[in-house]
Amino acid sequence: MLYELDTLAGLIGHAFSLWWIMIPAIAVGLVAGAVPGFAAHNTIIILLPLTLALDVEVALVFMVALYCASHLGGGVPAILVNIPGTGGAAATTLDGYPMTKKGQAVRALALCFVASVLGGLISAIVTLFALPVLSQVGYYIHSVELVVVMLFGLALIASIAAKDMLKGLIAGAFGLMLGAMGADHIYATPRGTFGFLELFDGVPLVPALIGLFAISEAFVMLEQKTVVSDSDRPTAPPSWGESSREIFNAFRHWWQITWTAILGLVIGVLPGAGASIASFVAYQQSQFFSKTPELFGTGHPQGVIAPESANNGVTTGTLVPLLAIGVPGGSTAAVMMIVLQFHGVPFGPRLFVEQPELAYGVIAAMAVSYILMIPFMFPMVRYMSRVTVISTVYLAPFIVAFTLVGAFVPRGFLFDMSVAVAFGIIGYVARKTGYHVAAILIGVILGPLIERSFLLAMRISNNDPMVLFSSNIGNLLWVLLVLSLALPPATSWWRRRGERTNEIQKGFGDEPR
Amino acid sequence: MSVCTKMPYRKKLVAKTSCAAAMLLGALSLGISPSFAQDFPEGNISVTIPTGEGGGADRDARSFAQVWNKYLPRNVEFSYYPGAAGQVGYEFYMRGDASPSNLLFSNIGPEVIMLELQDVPVEIGEDIVYIQKTSTEPMAIWVGANSPFETLEQLIEEAKTRPVTISVSRLPHPATIGMLALGEATGAEFNLIPFGGGNPTAMAAITGEVDASALPLANPITFGEEARVLGIFADENPVPDQTNDAPTVNEVAGTDLPPLTSSRAWAVQADAIAENPELIEILKQTMRQTLEDPEYIEAVRASGVPAEFIDPGNQEEAMQEAAETRELAIQYRDLLTGE
Repeated sequence: MLYELDTLAGLIGHAFSLWWIMIPAIAVGLVAGAVPGFAAHNTIIILLPLTLALDVEVALVFMVALYCASHLGGGVPAILVNIPGTGGAAATTLDGYPMTKKGQAVRALALCFVASVLGGLISAIVTLFALPVLSQVGYYIHSVELVVVMLFGLALIASIAAKDMLKGLIAGAFGLMLGAMGADHIYATPRGTFGFLELFDGVPLVPALIGLFAISEAFVMLEQKTVVSDSDRPTAPPSWGESSREIFNAFRHWWQITWTAILGLVIGVLPGAGASIASFVAYQQSQFFSKTPELFGTGHPQGVIAPESANNGVTTGTLVPLLAIGVPGGSTAAVMMIVLQFHGVPFGPRLFVEQPELAYGVIAAMAVSYILMIPFMFPMVRYMSRVTVISTVYLAPFIVAFTLVGAFVPRGFLFDMSVAVAFGIIGYVARKTGYHVAAILIGVILGPLIERSFLLAMRISNNDPMVLFSSNIGNLLWVLLVLSLALPPATSWWRRRGERTNEIQKGFGDEPR
Repeated sequence: MSVCTKMPYRKKLVAKTSCAAAMLLGALSLGISPSFAQDFPEGNISVTIPTGEGGGADRDARSFAQVWNKYLPRNVEFSYYPGAAGQVGYEFYMRGDASPSNLLFSNIGPEVIMLELQDVPVEIGEDIVYIQKTSTEPMAIWVGANSPFETLEQLIEEAKTRPVTISVSRLPHPATIGMLALGEATGAEFNLIPFGGGNPTAMAAITGEVDASALPLANPITFGEEARVLGIFADENPVPDQTNDAPTVNEVAGTDLPPLTSSRAWAVQADAIAENPELIEILKQTMRQTLEDPEYIEAVRASGVPAEFIDPGNQEEAMQEAAETRELAIQYRDLLTGE
């Protein structure tokens, strides 16, 4: 465990000396995260010829800096044009875009950046000190527990559906149905693929994301002049002072950023989980603990902070299984493993024995890369919000063209561009008829993950459904899930009942004697 | 060490730009252009990997390609098509050109079983031919370092009293057949759990979600002290020093199971052989040179795989293995498909 402060200071200092590779990596990561379809994983693969040529330490630092920055970048289009750059930023659209529509884009961006940077920094520092403890999480959270963790995310559909429960649940169920397409996890039997080989691996997430959010949003945009209404449209860019003020104000939410980042970190450590699940769960839990849960979905700052902080907390978490056990916890970590293997660097426990400075150095580099992102925040907050004043005549075609390329990039299939258009039409119809596209997307993302964990748990138990209640941690999570679902309506009912009683008593009091 | 051969791409669009840059790097760093390879068509060699990036096939293909570039100086462009136990990759590969520049890097064991069990319109021999093996490794039963099972005897005895959970990469796999055959021969009950890929399969065993795992032997070896090999499906242990002298399954269980191995191999479309036999010969020749190159042996070791697994088996041997694996799949079809 890294208790020696001088060692920590040495690692951090050494990481700072690699600023020259971190800054370009951050710049690339911010762009990659903001463009749907690229993301860290794909970008790192594209740049592998470069990273394999670099010294292993420099290569790892480059990759982690790019990875962290891409998680920050993903929130930008989610806030400004309702298009999440990555699955992890999908929940950011729920409150980020409504803030933009209300003319609060500068504030939303500031919240997003501060939550991302502070959340990522906190999780990296926690990991530096608690890596051995975190590496044990995977030993206790298995398929059963993962089912419940993912149900927390799925429960968000119920929150989204609060205004129109029937439509919300229909949208969520539709998403789950789409998520069930593809070859089944046990016997690889194709289901609902309509004979398309391209769908054997399930509905491709990026084209679905692009269609549901980007293309459908572009269609909606064309019905108006600009993203924000004339009355809310800023006439001039925000001043440096205003941008800085919003950034400093965002730091006041440090407590929510801290706990959602740690939640993201823990979820990131779990095999099979990731930024999407973390951000949905963090959003759902933030709403649960909020004093103003009714404001979520209407442009509430807490609704931006939660997913952004959590999905940046995940970045360090996904590296923990690779560093501590030697098994990559996600696709980005798998690509990093390639670089370690290429250079003949051992990973897992041997890495800590043979090259501990490299193991801890990677985490320290993550912390430093978040620190180096701070100067990026100020110009980004100031100038990026101007996107909202671009005429939709230019913006919408640009979005469609750009994101269709993004739909093509991850797998290289032209078919995926058709999927994006199909989902765009579904998204447009959903928006026009009052069905929430985020509820559909949650089903598409979480459906296959829950199914996989559920099937594994059932198969391990020889199809005994009681396996879902067979572990202490799982049972504790079940209780928390039930509480988080039951308490809000219960407290709301209790409050209404109290108000009614007061009114009645007041009424009696007012009666003339 | 050459860089230009390490080009993993899904994205052909972007890949071409990166390829050009990497080619320049390679040309600058190597400057090698064997004369016989000049007859090979210019342009990139496209490699389809029917599993995900970061897996064993990816690792082995890269180790190979980095040295192969010395003998066949062409850029290698990787595409990954995981899904449906490799079916997606094979079908997409067949949609490509029947050209010597269009290769498949395969894992013969699991993929031949998959082709036999699933409804895939691809026939080994008629459509695809394995032209050169690169490595062969036996299947192994292993547990995580914290497992209570110290020996294979203990695991088998336990499996006679309750179903013992075994994580496997997928059901159509030689390791799965090994476990089913072992259960049949000893009366032990093994509950096979397909985790979909080597990494999650290994994770399940290391973290104790399952009792044990059955995977190709290179997997537990790369996990070092995190894994303990209990038994090997082979006539003898090829790497006793790296497996704590683990016994063979037959020695422990008193069974007579056939060796269960899987080989990585390069494959081409059968039409490519018919149309360009001389170019395929260049491929084979340069591949053999690569396999004999000490630099390749070092690259394999660096990636954590024992050099003992390197197997320069030719086309005949590779196709023979495919035929034998197909027979095994037919024999265990019912158990593997749950029908």
